[in-house]
Amino acid sequence: MLRFLVRRSLGALVILLIISALTFFLFYSIPRDPALLACGKNCTPEALEVVRRNMGIDQPVPAQYWEYMTGILLGRDYAVGPCPAPCLGYSFVDNTPVWETILDRFPTTVSLAVGGAAVFLTVGLATGMLAAARRGTVVDKVLSSGSLVLSSMQIYFVGPLAIALFVYQLGWLSQPRYVELTEDPAGWFAGLLLPWCVLSIIFTANYTRMARSTMIEQLQEDHVRTARAKGMARRTVFFRHAWRGSLIPIVTIFGVDLGSLFGGAMITEFTFTLPGLGRLAVESVTNTNLPMLMGVMLFAATAIILCNIVVDAVYALIDPRVRLA
Amino acid sequence: MVALVAGALLLTGCSEGGGGGGEQEGGGGATAQEPVPFAGAKASTGPAEPIPGAEAGGTIRVLQRDSYAHLDPAQIYVADEGKLAALIHRRLTTVKMDNDGDYSVVGDLATDSGTRSDDGRTWTYTLKDGIRFEDGSPITSADIRHTFERLFADFVTEGPAFVQSWMADDPDYRDLLPGGPYDGDHLPDSVLETPDDKTVVFHFEKPQNDLPYALGMPGYGVVSRSKDTREKYDRDPLASGPYRVQSFKPGKSMSLVRNPEWDARTDPARHQYPEKFEITFNHQYEDSSKRLLSDTGENQRATSFNNSVDASTVPQVTRDEAAKARTVSGYQTYVAMYAINMDRIKDHKVRQAIAHALPIKSVLAPYGGSAGGELAGGVISPLLPGHEKGYDPFGKLKKPGGDPAKARELLKEAGQEDRKLVFAFRNDDESQQEAVAVTDALREAGFDVQRKELPTDTFYDRIGKVDNGYDLYRSNWGHDWVSASTVIPPLFDGRKIADGASNYPHVDDEKINSEIDRISGIADPEKAATEWFELSKYIIEDVTPVVPVYFYKQMQISGSKIGGAVYNNDLSGIDPNKLYVKK
Amino acid sequence: MTIPTTPGREAAGPAPAAPGDGPFLSVTDLRVRFTTEDGPVRAVDGLSFTLERGRTLGIVGESGSGKSVTSLAILGLHDPRTTTVSGRIRLGGREVTGARERDLERLRGNTMSMIFQDPLTALSPYHTIGRQIAEPYRKHTGASKRAARERAVEMLAKVGIPRPRLRAGDYPHQFSGGMRQRAMIAMALVCDPGLLIADEPTTALDVTVQAQILDLLGELQQESGTAIVLITHDLGVVAGAADNILVMYAGRAVERGSAAEVLGAPRHPYTWGLLRSTPDLDSDPDEPLRPIPGTPPSLLAPPPGCPFHPRCAFPPRVAGGPGRCSAERPELPEGRGAACHLTADQQRAGWSAEAGRAGATGSASVPVPADGGADLLRKEGDR
Repeated sequence: MLRFLVRRSLGALVILLIISALTFFLFYSIPRDPALLACGKNCTPEALEVVRRNMGIDQPVPAQYWEYMTGILLGRDYAVGPCPAPCLGYSFVDNTPVWETILDRFPTTVSLAVGGAAVFLTVGLATGMLAAARRGTVVDKVLSSGSLVLSSMQIYFVGPLAIALFVYQLGWLSQPRYVELTEDPAGWFAGLLLPWCVLSIIFTANYTRMARSTMIEQLQEDHVRTARAKGMARRTVFFRHAWRGSLIPIVTIFGVDLGSLFGGAMITEFTFTLPGLGRLAVESVTNTNLPMLMGVMLFAATAIILCNIVVDAVYALIDPRVRLA
Repeated sequence: MVALVAGALLLTGCSEGGGGGGEQEGGGGATAQEPVPFAGAKASTGPAEPIPGAEAGGTIRVLQRDSYAHLDPAQIYVADEGKLAALIHRRLTTVKMDNDGDYSVVGDLATDSGTRSDDGRTWTYTLKDGIRFEDGSPITSADIRHTFERLFADFVTEGPAFVQSWMADDPDYRDLLPGGPYDGDHLPDSVLETPDDKTVVFHFEKPQNDLPYALGMPGYGVVSRSKDTREKYDRDPLASGPYRVQSFKPGKSMSLVRNPEWDARTDPARHQYPEKFEITFNHQYEDSSKRLLSDTGENQRATSFNNSVDASTVPQVTRDEAAKARTVSGYQTYVAMYAINMDRIKDHKVRQAIAHALPIKSVLAPYGGSAGGELAGGVISPLLPGHEKGYDPFGKLKKPGGDPAKARELLKEAGQEDRKLVFAFRNDDESQQEAVAVTDALREAGFDVQRKELPTDTFYDRIGKVDNGYDLYRSNWGHDWVSASTVIPPLFDGRKIADGASNYPHVDDEKINSEIDRISGIADPEKAATEWFELSKYIIEDVTPVVPVYFYKQMQISGSKIGGAVYNNDLSGIDPNKLYVKK
Repeated sequence: MTIPTTPGREAAGPAPAAPGDGPFLSVTDLRVRFTTEDGPVRAVDGLSFTLERGRTLGIVGESGSGKSVTSLAILGLHDPRTTTVSGRIRLGGREVTGARERDLERLRGNTMSMIFQDPLTALSPYHTIGRQIAEPYRKHTGASKRAARERAVEMLAKVGIPRPRLRAGDYPHQFSGGMRQRAMIAMALVCDPGLLIADEPTTALDVTVQAQILDLLGELQQESGTAIVLITHDLGVVAGAADNILVMYAGRAVERGSAAEVLGAPRHPYTWGLLRSTPDLDSDPDEPLRPIPGTPPSLLAPPPGCPFHPRCAFPPRVAGGPGRCSAERPELPEGRGAACHLTADQQRAGWSAEAGRAGATGSASVPVPADGGADLLRKEGDR
């Protein structure tokens, strides 16, 4: 296990280095002067020089990259403010270290991702397994086609409709918003309930379909038949023997989904005006806030890679044939 | 002073005219606007006149689209931050709107709007007693001196430049105090004099009769000398107004709480009713409009400082009497116009043809129609003194869809039928809708239109180039304070044609240039206002470098538990200082 | 053997029964029909047989002849939504057909259990061997976790797995093929079932390992008196292991008899074909094996009359003419006999002619070592 972790972490580090180098050189090669954007309307050549120096972009790109990478480990000090390690750069648009903003936005994204994932995983697996257990019956058909209909819905369509109906019209749910879990757990739950449900709409269908098909596949496995031949009850066969194997493809997709959700659920965040990482990324693009964009991208990449490592570790938990090395 | 860029509404100067609350429409009442008067010590003494029925306490939620880019007053220029500044930063003067909707320039930190002497070359201010920063330290003339001296530092690039330029008598003002006060250098007494803790004296080369207006700009808000952290001040400024920043998460949220060091007795224009303002960002107009219109739950105690009711929600709001009662509306400072490149279209008849051809109603339509603006005949805003209501030199108010027949006729007279016309426009949704209508109308009038679609965020950079290669493009302008002196000189002074300058049509007319110099020297604001308007008539009718299209308006809505919502022309929108939470 | 038996288990366990105690399993007129999109499939069509305690019945036939379907029917494992099972199956005096699912669950793994062809896929990859063996034991005896685990270790030792306590914690993929099948047997026998159905138990294994497994089954049967249904397509397998043999074709029994009878003097032309296509140690290695011509019939639309007639060379010799084979279904007589229209004499003579043609001696030799299997077992277990 330790060897696995060390190996995978080293691999992840290499991938992140490549990603960071790529994004860095790509961003800084675009024909737009971030200093000019930051310099403002009363900009003079002297002022521009100051801004360039403050931003650290008066140096050649490789030197900037070196500074960037060492900054992650050691932190940096900008004229506009300190940037303690891990310094993922400094956002000159809103005068904050990138890491600080990411840390500030991350809880929203995590809350949205984990809560949403809990909903779509539970609902998806439950309906999928129910459909598999009742294969060919009306229940199966309703669940299968229902999930298909839902999956064709889009968040930007369902979201505003749901708000208009459940919040504005009926008043059953409170205005979607994010409050810190530690500050007000009930408010956290109430504020995120609608986003969770809407976010999970598009995912649930996937998991329903996947759970159904893998479950049906598993139920036809020889070892499942063996379990029945041993006299195991249907329920035991279903949950102890068949379910386990059906998890593997689900965990694979779930890892990818969760990883990308940790990078930010842009459409959901925009639809419900939740201040998460996805929105941060889009804002950074529109503001030409390159350090922020770079930071978010690296962060999201790290999240996805970490999720992948966790997924691989989970494989080993589920399936003893998988060896971690 | 600066063109209106997509997304960032520029802060404005002040203005007169019934900027009332409720459904009352601000602005257009008078046929010719009166200048906003400079008030004396009495009007400058606090506390401010209480808002009838106002109660203290409660939290107001504020839904904003754009996050605040700057908190350092020296870097504040756009309207979003201007409204925030109205709550947290005080300056020497400010524009007060009283309960009757009358405006005056009053002393804010100073005891009055300023004592003019030496024909307007010298202005003297005396600071009030009991004025303090949020850390409890008193505000002295040393802080005021520091506030102005640091404007010369290289890092200050965003705020207004009027006072600095006047001090240096040169648009390139930075040489007066290179690097600002941080190396121990100071402005000489011949420019800025602070003989004691309470007295501040400005000396200028030329008469500066608009100084009390200029000093009321949020960009001249006071900065603590001892707590100045230069660039870092932008993140963490010291408040002097009734509220202070408790927390700020850029792009996400800001909490404003009461500033206990603010003394109501020193402030003639501000209140401190709510306990707290909880501001959240990234609410698109549609989102904030729908929330506030729904008036459910927490939305009842919510408003927006800067978001308008979005075009798609306007009909719902106007149909619903109860919702309409929760709105305020009025003019914004901007005037929308089309600039004609005089370097390329030299024949006045062709420019007149363009003026007649433009379908100004269709231009306004994508921005919400009458809720988003009022069709314009001239370039002087209804908020400015001297504005004449109903001025319509090309008869466009009568034919807002354009007059292609007249345009064709003019082109024929000029012998320029099938005249090629390069039309540049922005690529955002509204601008594209607008461009379609404009292209059709120009083609109908006989122009050979060539469309050039430009990215919205660099539009002004592109058209700001002297050899931009376009014939016709949208340009907007907003005054900085209630005087046409912040409109006509920057737009039409032929000696100021340069890359990035605001003379977008590149008009260089001897009469305009000499008139600008003459009217700038007139000390009486009322006389000046009349003269500016006369000059604007000459410009539009006899030169026609631009075609005015509409005056920007906006409608804002608040939740039902929000009291004191009134439209303030000086702030171009709802006045945050007057808001309270109804019990 | 020191076996810590669970209390209450001994009384319930079937005592080693002498052959001839009366049938422990009796199957009467079993019919299994699948509903498919193309129409009903008669997978088993009127099958009857009996099996006594301590005896082994070999069911032989090509794939698709209904062998495995029969075994699943006995266990009641067919999906009732797509399968119709009729006829009677009695096990230890109890009716199996029509029993409620819960009652069936109590029988499965307890009174009757099953070994499958490929132990790699038939064992769950997600649970340890020990747990898989203990699972039915706990279910059927209500034993504690610890007791069940002890029982699993004991069973592993019994089937010849070295260091059973250690290996009980292993997963199937950590076992070799033969060991896995031993574990499978341990699992099937953990509750001392009266009936063990072994469906192609050696097909997936090496030839040497095959023999060991068959020996093991034989030993365990000696010990416990379990009745075994040994299903295989390999006549060599049944030769050494089965007491009686039932040959199946197209869902029907076509020949029945003792192992010696069926292998030594087969009566049905199909059985002849099967034997002919089995390699024989005594036969001339240059003599090519002669597979049965044609393909097994479609069970969707089985041929009328004798289902084997399209592949059979003998209809011309049948009394009543070749038309009889395609019109009239031959019955399988009680006891020793074949379902064929040839007369008993023709049947006997037919095989002699066949055997002569093949150069065979008349009795199938089976490559099963009579003893010495234990040594091989140990070697196998040590790896």
